[in-house]
Amino acid sequence: MHCELKEKDRIGTINPIFTCQPAGAQYASIGIKECIGIVHGGQGCVMFVRLLISQHLKESFEIASSSVHEDGAVFGALDRVEQAVDVLLMRYPHVKVVPIISTCSTEVIGDDIDGVVRKLNEGLLQEKYAGREVHLIPIHTPSFVGSMVSGYDVAVRDFVKYFAEPGEPGEPNGKVNLITGWVNPGDVKALKHLMTEMDIQANVLFEIESFDSPLMPDGNYVSHGSTTIEDLKSTGSASATLALNRYEGGQAAKYLESEFNQPTIVGPTPIGIRNTDTFLANLKTLTGKPISHSLVVERGIAIDALTDLTHMFLADKRVAIYGNPDLVIGLAEFCLDLEMKPVLLLLGDDNANYPDDPRIQAIQQNVDYPMEIITNADLWDLENRVKNEGLELDLILGHSKGRFAAMECNVPMVRVGFPTYDRAGLYRYPVVGYEGAAWLAEQMANTLFTDMEYKKNKEWVLNVW
Amino acid sequence: MPYHEFECSTCIPERKKHAVVKGPGETLADALPLGYLNTIPGTISERGCAYCGAKHVIGTPMKDVIHISHGPVGCTYDTWQTKRYISDNDNFQLKYTFATDVKEKHIVFGAEKLLKQNIIEAFKAHPDIKRMTIYQTCATALIGDDIDAIAQEVMEELPDVDIFVCNSPGFAGPSQSGGHHKINIAWIKNKVGTVEPEITSDYVINYVGEYNIQGDQEVMQDFFKRMGIQILSTFTGNGSYDDLRAMHKAHLNVLECARSAEYICNELRVKYGIPRLDIDGFGFEPLGNSLRKVGLFFGIEDRAQKIIDEETARWKPELDWYKARLTGKKVCLWPGGSKLWHWAHVIHDEMGLDVVSVYTKFGHQGDMEKGIARCEQGALAIDDPNELEGLEAMNRLQPDIIFTGKRPGEVAKKIRVPYLNAHAYHNGPWKGWEGWVRFARDIYNGIYSPIHELSKLDISKDEIPTDKGFKTARMISDADLPEAVRNDPNLRRYTGKYDMVAELRERTYPEFARQGAQEAAA
Repeated sequence: MHCELKEKDRIGTINPIFTCQPAGAQYASIGIKECIGIVHGGQGCVMFVRLLISQHLKESFEIASSSVHEDGAVFGALDRVEQAVDVLLMRYPHVKVVPIISTCSTEVIGDDIDGVVRKLNEGLLQEKYAGREVHLIPIHTPSFVGSMVSGYDVAVRDFVKYFAEPGEPGEPNGKVNLITGWVNPGDVKALKHLMTEMDIQANVLFEIESFDSPLMPDGNYVSHGSTTIEDLKSTGSASATLALNRYEGGQAAKYLESEFNQPTIVGPTPIGIRNTDTFLANLKTLTGKPISHSLVVERGIAIDALTDLTHMFLADKRVAIYGNPDLVIGLAEFCLDLEMKPVLLLLGDDNANYPDDPRIQAIQQNVDYPMEIITNADLWDLENRVKNEGLELDLILGHSKGRFAAMECNVPMVRVGFPTYDRAGLYRYPVVGYEGAAWLAEQMANTLFTDMEYKKNKEWVLNVW
Repeated sequence: MPYHEFECSTCIPERKKHAVVKGPGETLADALPLGYLNTIPGTISERGCAYCGAKHVIGTPMKDVIHISHGPVGCTYDTWQTKRYISDNDNFQLKYTFATDVKEKHIVFGAEKLLKQNIIEAFKAHPDIKRMTIYQTCATALIGDDIDAIAQEVMEELPDVDIFVCNSPGFAGPSQSGGHHKINIAWIKNKVGTVEPEITSDYVINYVGEYNIQGDQEVMQDFFKRMGIQILSTFTGNGSYDDLRAMHKAHLNVLECARSAEYICNELRVKYGIPRLDIDGFGFEPLGNSLRKVGLFFGIEDRAQKIIDEETARWKPELDWYKARLTGKKVCLWPGGSKLWHWAHVIHDEMGLDVVSVYTKFGHQGDMEKGIARCEQGALAIDDPNELEGLEAMNRLQPDIIFTGKRPGEVAKKIRVPYLNAHAYHNGPWKGWEGWVRFARDIYNGIYSPIHELSKLDISKDEIPTDKGFKTARMISDADLPEAVRNDPNLRRYTGKYDMVAELRERTYPEFARQGAQEAAA
């Protein structure tokens, strides 16, 4: 076998690929309308995540902290949660959903956030907020378990578990739950477009197209997701559930499948032509709706664009890819279809399920050149291989935290994933669907072209094309 | 000086004493907002944690060091690549960050062994770096790992390395300020006095509380070098670990950010008798006065005066070009801590701006004292502001621009208030004479952006001006200026380069004959 799947051979992390679980729960929480989460821990756990999200989307999002200080760390800090809920509800009268997101500190000291939610439900909410719809949802995301990816997965599951209600028996609501995973506004727009073309009503978790929000000539516009409580409740009565990502929303899909007996499909991430084809085939299977001619045309436009690029420019280009696992795997699959050679895949956490992932297994069984897939990886795994171990690369695909690694390696990089703060507006463009396939391939090609020009590496090739 | 009660905060009366309006004829004795108290949970405060105050603000600008955080990866990831503290060694401290990657099993069984392996691995990955700082985080503080003991153990096994430990978990204090204090004290207690420096000048300083944001330290270093002053160390921007171990041999501590680094100056005074001189690197007048004070201390005022004259002659016409166009514009000066008093008076005096509000996320009452004393009458001063209060203040005050952090800047954007990044700057450095002109230029570009003007047009209601295909900032800023000012031949726009720091690194400096060489060595 040419492709090795193994854990990073160092114990520590140099230049991490992921941040920790609470960040994922926070990213999920801002997708819900009328929701402000309270992160139970030190203030940095919120302040920096808000900064990170604002770096990526160039917008500010509201997330609160229970502001645990030294006394709380010593004596327990549940009173801080109680106060935070009260203060938040008083000052944000529109807020209905308040996830209580734990962190490493409050998990270590053993604060019982489930208990405090019960206490608040029976006490404060009855006494002071009677008649107001408020949902307090404990979400356990200790930072020393998993990563931001699993934090997102846990939070989506917990939101769905909390809200999902069964519909009338035998009368599903005709919608398909589309659990997108950790994506950008541009992705949501593209996915909704595909479903509209198939005349399928989607219940998108989470509806974050509005993250890319306007600067209006008057008033204020606070960026927020638009998934409502009703949307979340109705997940239980949907006709079917389609989760695009195994590791970001997969648990919620499994829950809906087992609890409400919905036809459910998890994956594959619709990156590239082939996976988008499968996505549409899955929709067809779940709904019986045909794939429209308009999508044949749309696919044809993308295929046309890819044909211009693939064997002339992209073939045999050696690529390293890092980031969220479903994204990395989807990109690797797409690169293979483009005749490129993904030689290094870096998955930034130690999820024990990676060896069982059929997509990883398929890659392992079919690549005919040396390739490594590293789990629990960091960005030093990339930089060190290039600088000190002779790995040759033509291109890097990954998020902005690897910008210095790419520069150190002197390898051009296409920004993709989260976060991409060092390039303008990327959140607006999809990487999924046929449109995303063309966009990605063209980004890769243009990035290689620019690099050829700056390095004077057969730059004259582009004279005729 | 009445307390100011925000409408959005009437339900949390304890907030009332955190904001004041500077009234006519009032002095600081009348009232001062409360400061540096525990944050009210759930307010959506902008404060960070004591870990970031120690590691991210003060520790990491040190340039020749492996900075490793002992905890889960999040603290490390989150505080990586969110600041612009550069260095002249190709930014090692920006490029590399290290986490011990504490996982659940370590929480249960302890993470000391993990820490030791990490230290050895990190040195192995970067064999040229022999210095390390280790930062405790919430998780490892709570499980009680003895980081100092492990560091000691490694230093005994690897004699060529030196390790500094900072125990400042995120929960240790109401804000990042708690971490500033902890790392100051830990550094003087454990590291100062462990290296004996080579003294090359009669005039030796530590430059303290300066973080080399976009090259500020290098700008100031240039002036000190031109005065023949040896900068023994900079705490900590562009600073070197071993230089900072030799702080005890300076003649003077020149202190820039008194909020984050006065502690170490005070300790150096107590322990080694080194006096502290507070300076301002921002603004022509304060900077000139600062260099003059340093010159006075050493008896070399003439050298300071020469720089002041040269720089003022070079840059004053450019600053005044902007002043003519910024006069009367309203500013919310909303930084983290010290800039509220570094900038409050001087942007008024030298750029004509009116400071309508100051706030501080992590400052103490002392910062407010200085800030309020220096800002305009009627200005609203807010301690530990939160999201809703910020919006309410901006809606009430209608500032023309706001100086704040990246994320709060996005809040301002949505109500059509341009922002400049007060922490990382837009196109700095902003210290020094040229830097100050760059700041004025950035303010001008923010306020008079044609896009900013367009953002206020409601195409569904307002009359759309169809007579122009474009506008320049100049067309907007000069529309109401008198002819004499508009075409004043003595004024000009900024003429410097995009990167003004690279050239500084190539500079050579005059040799000054030493007079008191023997005294200095003693």
